[in-house]
Amino acid sequence: MDFQHFIWFYFWIAPHLLLLAVAAFMLRNGLRKGFPVFFSYLIFEFLQFCLLFAVHSYQGVVTPLYAKIDMFCRAGSIAFRFGILQELFESPLADNVPLRRAMARILNLGTAVLVVLALVFVGSLYYSILNDRPFAGYVVIEALNAAQCGVLALVFFWHRFLGLRMSSFAFGIAVGMGLAAGMEPFGQALSVSLPLQYFRIPGLLQMATYHVVVLLWLYFALARERITFDFKAVPLLSVREQAAELGRITHL
Amino acid sequence: MTALIILASAVVAFLFFLFFQVWRRYFRPAEVAAAQLIPVDLEAFENLTDPEEVRFLRNHLPPQQFRAIQRTRIHAAKVYVAALSENAGVLVSLGQSARSQPDPEVAAAGVDIVQRAIKLKVWCLFSLLQLNAALLFPARMAPTNGITHRYLLVTYMAANLGAKSAA
Repeated sequence: MDFQHFIWFYFWIAPHLLLLAVAAFMLRNGLRKGFPVFFSYLIFEFLQFCLLFAVHSYQGVVTPLYAKIDMFCRAGSIAFRFGILQELFESPLADNVPLRRAMARILNLGTAVLVVLALVFVGSLYYSILNDRPFAGYVVIEALNAAQCGVLALVFFWHRFLGLRMSSFAFGIAVGMGLAAGMEPFGQALSVSLPLQYFRIPGLLQMATYHVVVLLWLYFALARERITFDFKAVPLLSVREQAAELGRITHL
Repeated sequence: MTALIILASAVVAFLFFLFFQVWRRYFRPAEVAAAQLIPVDLEAFENLTDPEEVRFLRNHLPPQQFRAIQRTRIHAAKVYVAALSENAGVLVSLGQSARSQPDPEVAAAGVDIVQRAIKLKVWCLFSLLQLNAALLFPARMAPTNGITHRYLLVTYMAANLGAKSAA
């Protein structure tokens, strides 16, 4: 095995093993309850890795069976990622079921619009250069990844609108998801633009990005929440003044 | 190659957005984060959104004049709702900081404040949408007045936090 193969195998195997570590730390720190979809996603990713690795070891990468399983697994990952984004979006409203449902409907509508826009955007990009692309399904996957970037931006804007600071782990999940979803369409575009002799580079780039993402999740699963906000510095005085003023008004 | 350039630009823009989120969370100066409540005259706001007032104006003014006045009132109400929404954001921050306090009573009150302030914030959002719709049809739609008591409740709870943390 040459160095290039070693690196390739390392970037394929190591992040998926680290996913198990993330899941273990989630269990230990009681984070699984708050992020059940993300936890399921970690397990799913590990199982799909096991399956693909087994097929690869047995048959090689370029077989139709491998391509079919790969497509199925990617579709599963994307479905899970949309679920995680919904989980992050709804997390501030965890205790209010009616409001959570109402906002979930709005998010679903926004997601549908973003998916359509992304399909048009990615479709128009590839229409001119990839008429004979063998796997049209990958174009759809790229579009869905692009849509996920949009939904993730919505999640950040939503928290910003509410004035709510995301929990440390939620923030780590969001940043990691953004890196993974953002780099995948770029990797795909790179793979069709580079000459054939560099065909491994986009894959390596994507795998290296995913490795960074998993390390990020691991860090945030281990990190303790640090509150740097000074409770005494919060404008309690102005709140009290306003409450007194409001009391005066309501007793008129 | 054009596709690659467009996608690369989109990816760079998105990565910049992510970087900005990280910077905002970990490197933004602390003094910027501490916002103050905007003073809101709730009595005036109640008056602007009172259905009785709307009915009175509708009955005593010609339709054209009523629509013009009602639009002005809705514009003013929008300014109030925007201020209430800003204040709800400050109260969310206050509740979050209380939530992390070691005293269980203060922490529980913080959780309650966060939930109520978030609800208030969402109500303000829906109210702004309703007010915008009422601007289009001032004769048919009246602005909502359900926010005031929610705002009062959260502000009182936040004001009581000080007493609880001092005790």
